[in-house]
Amino acid sequence: MVKTRILVVDDNPAIRKGLSVRLRANGYEVLFAEDAISATAALVTERPDLLILDLGLPAGDGFVVMDRLQKNDRLANIPVIVLTGRELADNRDRALQAGAAAFFQKPVEDGALLFAVRKALDLSRGESRFDE
Amino acid sequence: MTKPALRTSSEVPSNPSHEMRNALACIQQFGSILIDGLAGELSGEQREYIGIMLENAAKIRSVLDSELAGTDGLLQESKIKIERVSRREN
Repeated sequence: MVKTRILVVDDNPAIRKGLSVRLRANGYEVLFAEDAISATAALVTERPDLLILDLGLPAGDGFVVMDRLQKNDRLANIPVIVLTGRELADNRDRALQAGAAAFFQKPVEDGALLFAVRKALDLSRGESRFDE
Repeated sequence: MTKPALRTSSEVPSNPSHEMRNALACIQQFGSILIDGLAGELSGEQREYIGIMLENAAKIRSVLDSELAGTDGLLQESKIKIERVSRREN
């Protein structure tokens, strides 16, 4: 059985490691990128099923990554979950308007993140509505 | 010769809330990984201690959510003032 592949984009290696352990324990294959350029490259070459994206990144922020994603017809349907330490007021609405399926401010509860991952994947596969 | 009385700007986080949220996320992530047994079985005592750690991490998060956003500006202002303070060595 082919595992669902999730690209985790965060410049903090400890955050990447922690998310990796949790996601792998829930049956997902995890890929990594640590800046906007490598994230964009990984999206093109790896075509992950879902993206967990930090906003504060080197070489362009998470909004740059989402913009590039939306402008590529082959990638535009990959769901994005934003997970950031940035303030809600400045970023939540902007991220959702940019196409994010969900927005979380760090630290996030594991259950809430995993629920959003499942729902976003279901939605991208046309299996249900993301109504949370 | 003058020197900074307090820390240099490189030692002060440019965005305290963001830095604290990342650090807190790491504490919560790895604490929950341990307590869920994803890194191996824990004794009852170990689970108790990590539970205490996670409870207190949650308290810090609550403070961050309720208060720090409003004080970020004050912290930034304080940083500017600190950088301007210097003293002459005797």
